[in-house]
Amino acid sequence: MPNNSRSPYTPMPMRVLRAYYESTDRSLKTLELSFESSEDRKAFFAKFNPGQFCLLSVAGKGESALGVASAAWEGDFVRFTAQRMGTVTNALHALKAGDPIGMRGPLGNGFPLDDWKSKNLVIIGGGCAFSTLYALTKHVHHPDNRDDFGKITLVYGTRTSGLCMYKHDIASWHEREDMEIHQAIDVPEENWLHHVGYVPDVVKEVAPSPENAVAVVCGPPIMTKFTLPALLELGFAPEAIFTSLEKRMKCGLGKCGRCNLGHKYICKDGPVFSLAELNALPADL
Amino acid sequence: MNLILPKIDLPDLLQSWRKKFTVFLPQKLERFSHFMPLDDANAEILEQPHNTRIPPKALFLPMTEALVKFTRFGTYDDAELEVSPRIVFGMRPCDAQAVQLLDTVFEQEQYTDPFWVKRQEKTIRIGLGCHVPCANGFCTTVGYGPFSKDGLDILLTDLGDSFLVEVLSESGKTLFENLHEASEELKNQAKEIQHKAHDAMPIAFETENLKEKIEQNFKSDYWDEVSRSCLGCGVCTFLCPTCFCFDIVDEVQRQERVRNWDSCMFRIYSLEASGHNPRPSRIERTRQRLSHKYAYWLDQIGLIGCTGCGRCVSYCPVGLDIRAMLRQAQSLPFEVSHAE
Repeated sequence: MPNNSRSPYTPMPMRVLRAYYESTDRSLKTLELSFESSEDRKAFFAKFNPGQFCLLSVAGKGESALGVASAAWEGDFVRFTAQRMGTVTNALHALKAGDPIGMRGPLGNGFPLDDWKSKNLVIIGGGCAFSTLYALTKHVHHPDNRDDFGKITLVYGTRTSGLCMYKHDIASWHEREDMEIHQAIDVPEENWLHHVGYVPDVVKEVAPSPENAVAVVCGPPIMTKFTLPALLELGFAPEAIFTSLEKRMKCGLGKCGRCNLGHKYICKDGPVFSLAELNALPADL
Repeated sequence: MNLILPKIDLPDLLQSWRKKFTVFLPQKLERFSHFMPLDDANAEILEQPHNTRIPPKALFLPMTEALVKFTRFGTYDDAELEVSPRIVFGMRPCDAQAVQLLDTVFEQEQYTDPFWVKRQEKTIRIGLGCHVPCANGFCTTVGYGPFSKDGLDILLTDLGDSFLVEVLSESGKTLFENLHEASEELKNQAKEIQHKAHDAMPIAFETENLKEKIEQNFKSDYWDEVSRSCLGCGVCTFLCPTCFCFDIVDEVQRQERVRNWDSCMFRIYSLEASGHNPRPSRIERTRQRLSHKYAYWLDQIGLIGCTGCGRCVSYCPVGLDIRAMLRQAQSLPFEVSHAE
């Protein structure tokens, strides 16, 4: 039953449209969810912006915060990729097409796309944190949006080639003339044609120009820690470097208290922050 | 409007309110007092110069409450919440002020908490000023006071045989319809009591530049020093009237998603799935507690997020005293910012 007056704690009903493993080691699974109610769908897409996240809910197990990995133009579904970690993500991995699931969102601010208009984008991702950057890239790729942005430079690193997400799409991006793509793995593998090394080193090697550009970094903390200084060294201003943060979350609404970073809540005021904003906040990550 | 309520009439008045309201007032429960609903038998009014152990925030944000009902078929519905009209009698000003601070958390424009709002709307708050200073409180230090009116519909001042009833809102007015207006003499007497009580509260620490000192010494050894004797039991946050953190868990048997009070003093509070913990030891957790109250609240709404009720001082099992911690923080180095 459509119920648009539900409390912000109550998930909307969704259904698993497709569920498939994203990595060869089966640690990552992608779920594409369709809406049970058309009002929910309209409300979702009226608010949705790449970089936002949702809380996926499995009854009896709990909720997990996951970044949205699809662009609005892809269709009437929402994509997430979950790494198998604890109770909820194990339950998410057990889901198959047709199963019901709850979802709250979209939550958070997302990427400030309006401010990035006409700029070159340097997109730097590592591991499974690439999901929201995938949504961003897909969004920018759409013919209606492509002209709003300049050149795209993508750096995407994973530990192994098997852990690389969205493989077919990314393979096709190498053919695109409107973007430069650099894939990397941490240790050499046979038949690997791209970079070998850690993301910060690849960024230094690729050396994207800071001229009229913004850089977006999403990855594990250790990658972010070394990539941010590399970008500063290349000449990016702290205002032009963005990252998406994560902390343990429960409510996603700025009430339960646990994802605070100084006076900001990552769920409500983030998850996307510029380095300039982060520099003004305590290092409580 | 200032009215006079003879104390002898109070039990009957409280009983008369019960026709329309659930009346909560502090009653003795084992060694402590606790806000409980009034029934026929316990009309005895507890007169005590101190706070209840559990703050009345629990009447607005219960220790545990269902948020969502779910089924095993994966459907979700709002948990039902029926709140009958109610009166909270004998709230101390520090606790009333704290509930008002929490309003800014739960009644934000972007996301309003429907459970909080429902309880708020149905509640009339009758405050009882503190004419006897309490041992561990420091309300005047943090900018409030023993007769603060914030967050109250009525403020009572104890005049010995009677209460001076200060009506602060329309909803409060209807409860005291048949009372006489207080004479000038009694009003002056009340004012004097209020001033005396205010002056009797010692200034526990200086708040000037405290925020800057806390913020600029984020990596200082000070946090190690002040957290050394902490056991991490969390009572300081559990009984704090301005602490609002909660956990959300699924109760499978009841088929409910429930929120429970939580505490930033616990290790698992911020422990992430990857094993990383931004606040791995009591040093970081103590820093979070103090910084939240004395720095982050100020950034958010311009007020200190502590009303000086003194519970964290009274109930700490190892005698950690936030007043002493903040006095020590005042000796930390800091730079004045000229960026204004």
